[in-house]
Amino acid sequence: MDRELILDVRGVSCRYPGASGDALTGVSLAARAGEVHAVLGPNGSGKTTLVRVALGLVAPVAGSAAILGRPASDWSRRDLARVVGVVTQREDNLFPQRVRETVLLGRYPYLSMWGRERAEDHAAVERALARCDVSFLANRWIWTLSGGEYQRVRLARALAQEPKLLVLDEPTASLDVRHEMQLFELVRVLADRDGLAVVLITHHVNLAARFADRVLLLAEGRPAGDGPPADVLTRETVERVFAWPVSIASFEGRPQMVPLRKREDLP
Amino acid sequence: MRWLGLGIVVAVAFALAVVLGPAHVPLAELLTSDVVRSLRLPRALLAFLVGGSLALAGTGLQALVRNPLADPSLLGLSGGAGLGAVVAIALHLANPWALPLAAFAGALGAMALVYRLGLVGGAELDPRVLILAGVAVGAFTAAVTTAVVSLSDAAELRNAFLWLWGGLSGASWDSVWLLCVYAPLPIAVLLAAARPLDLLALGEEPARHLGADVESVKRRVYVAASLLTAAAVAVSGVIGFVGLVVPHAMRLLWGHRHRPLLPAAFLGGGALLAFSDTVARVAVAPRELPVGIVTALIGVPVFVLLLRRWTAS
Amino acid sequence: MRRWAHRTHLAGLLLFAAAACGRGSRSAPSGGLTVTDDAGRAVVLAQPARRIVSLSPGVTELLFALGAGDRVVGRTTWCDYPPAARAVPSVGDGLNPNIEAVAARHPDLVVLYRSALNETAAAQLARLGLAAVLVQQDRLEDLARTARLLGRLTGADATGDSLAQVLERFASGPRPPPRARVAFVVWDNPPVVIGGGSYLDQLAALAGAANVFHDIGSASAQVGLETIVTRDPDVVVVLRDSAGPPPEPPGFTRRPEWRAVRAVRQRRFVYLTGSLFGRPSPRAPQAVAEFRRRLEEATR
Repeated sequence: MDRELILDVRGVSCRYPGASGDALTGVSLAARAGEVHAVLGPNGSGKTTLVRVALGLVAPVAGSAAILGRPASDWSRRDLARVVGVVTQREDNLFPQRVRETVLLGRYPYLSMWGRERAEDHAAVERALARCDVSFLANRWIWTLSGGEYQRVRLARALAQEPKLLVLDEPTASLDVRHEMQLFELVRVLADRDGLAVVLITHHVNLAARFADRVLLLAEGRPAGDGPPADVLTRETVERVFAWPVSIASFEGRPQMVPLRKREDLP
Repeated sequence: MRWLGLGIVVAVAFALAVVLGPAHVPLAELLTSDVVRSLRLPRALLAFLVGGSLALAGTGLQALVRNPLADPSLLGLSGGAGLGAVVAIALHLANPWALPLAAFAGALGAMALVYRLGLVGGAELDPRVLILAGVAVGAFTAAVTTAVVSLSDAAELRNAFLWLWGGLSGASWDSVWLLCVYAPLPIAVLLAAARPLDLLALGEEPARHLGADVESVKRRVYVAASLLTAAAVAVSGVIGFVGLVVPHAMRLLWGHRHRPLLPAAFLGGGALLAFSDTVARVAVAPRELPVGIVTALIGVPVFVLLLRRWTAS
Repeated sequence: MRRWAHRTHLAGLLLFAAAACGRGSRSAPSGGLTVTDDAGRAVVLAQPARRIVSLSPGVTELLFALGAGDRVVGRTTWCDYPPAARAVPSVGDGLNPNIEAVAARHPDLVVLYRSALNETAAAQLARLGLAAVLVQQDRLEDLARTARLLGRLTGADATGDSLAQVLERFASGPRPPPRARVAFVVWDNPPVVIGGGSYLDQLAALAGAANVFHDIGSASAQVGLETIVTRDPDVVVVLRDSAGPPPEPPGFTRRPEWRAVRAVRQRRFVYLTGSLFGRPSPRAPQAVAEFRRRLEEATR
């Protein structure tokens, strides 16, 4: 049975104003319910741009992006926020808040302009906190949290939006291995148990290979491969895209990249 | 409990503004006294409206430019208003409403200029560009104002500076009604922006992803805050400090959520200015102090007190 | 040998320089005048002033009254009386004296009114070798003293003394019983009134008007509108720039809050021209008479 197609990006090309080249050329991405779709690639390969195009923040010069069948540009920000929860790479936090308050911000798309938060909003927050296993932190000030805890809180906020699609942009940058694993495990559970579609941008090739159902590998804005990890992450492809000699090992049926010491014959 | 406390403070400030004054009016005659009815009462109401507007605009602007040190005067509005007023005086315009209208026009001009300068940077209403543009416009209008003053009839313009230092002497029922008709819309726009402003504190991109129409919110808040400030300055000159400190003081008590913060700032600013005006009228009677001096002298110690309480807890 | 001559040469130069600097403090040559101005500065002239720049309208009037009008070679734009003064070249508005313009008139005496800014200007003029005199110009008493001083400086000692006596007699003359209570309103927003420390207050007393703000010691002060209302002057006095056609009440009187003042409601205004009333001048008796007349009209 085909899973519900939440995000459908087809052949998009995109160029930033004033840039000399295209940021993206002919990239496609299909995110389905219950699937974790990882987006990999070196710095500057267009991963974050892809997300922006997919969510209608940037208009592509070619190709299309649709969410639940409707073009991305047709969605109002508010409606889109009920379907897509995004955890961005960076977030400012100018003002001190408690965990529960910051997760409550995720209910914004459901609140009326003047109305108060309702019982169902608070319930959604509690559910989100529980799913991310941060209920015990609910009353803490966010500046007292560790990096890993804070990321889970941000994920809880995205879940409070009750989305069908989760987009995570480098969620484990600067986290240690324990928190990294916890986050990836959590993401996997959300996809499997709750049927969320997940688009996960990450640097961590190996964890992506372990946890993702599909991998999109980008190189200089072009797709270098889209499919199951084993199909995409071959030695030739990885060496070409990342410009470094690697060896591909297998672990639990998934390809794992092992970077090699520099050889003389590679550029 | 906090709201009750704030309500009491507001009531007391208002009562003092009506009961106290350089002219002694016995309590029994309060309601029938002409001085109270035609001068003190509208002046107390105006102080309340102006102080509340400045504090509300200040809160909104601090959220907009993501800088807790933002003050309505940072956006060049006060400079524009001052220039408008000085030009009106230099031209010897006879109409009694000429000065406030000119000041208002000057403030609006400054607002448009700052907005336009902000567009040059690329992104609309980029906070950093906005502040710099505001400072530049403020400096420019100050320079032109000084030039006008130095080239014109000196005696009258010396008194123009007294107006610039801020004061509620021009208060009448007319100005109260005017503000009552004009202010509710920008006030409502700011209050309605409470939740989006909370989101904006996370950054523009996260706010966008959470459903806020960031461009629209920034524009609305900028225009509403500027309109409120322009009206306040046009009516009562440049009263500094209220828009900067009241939001901070209210944050110490209510936190950063804008839904309670914005109305609390309005009430707090109103009470502060009403009380300051009472002090300005009474402290050196029969003379009167410029109210801006009083707001600073009162506001700073109160703020220090609140700050100590907060850091101690 | 050469070094000794060098030293004498140097010493000679030093002596000459010392002599040049110390010129002011040495005893005056015969025919010279020494006066102490109102800032306590000792000013010396070799002879009575022949070319005078006056940086104060009151001083210009006094000089003409002393018969020294023909010696005035520079005036400010405010110096409009007597009419002959207008023929004298102007050196600016005099508020921040234009030293170059003053020096260009080649005066041997510059008279300024006493203020902090003018003390600096006087020092600058002195450095250029121009004698500068600072005179207090706030009250009637100052007029008499200045008349004497100017009389000495122009060699018209007797005229100066007699003018001073006239002014002193006038100033200490009997004050008529007050026939009206007045408030001098200089500015409306915020309201600024003239207080007891001013020249206008003195004129008012001599004209039979009681300044309701006489208790305020300074020359002017910002007051609350309700204070004006409760002190309830019979007449509001407004200063105008020029004596022109019948004036209409100033714009601020149409503002609603000013209608709480009885005199404004009853439209009882007296208009005084700044030229005659705004500064101490030898026309003070004239001013008082005019004020009294206008007051009678307004309170009829």
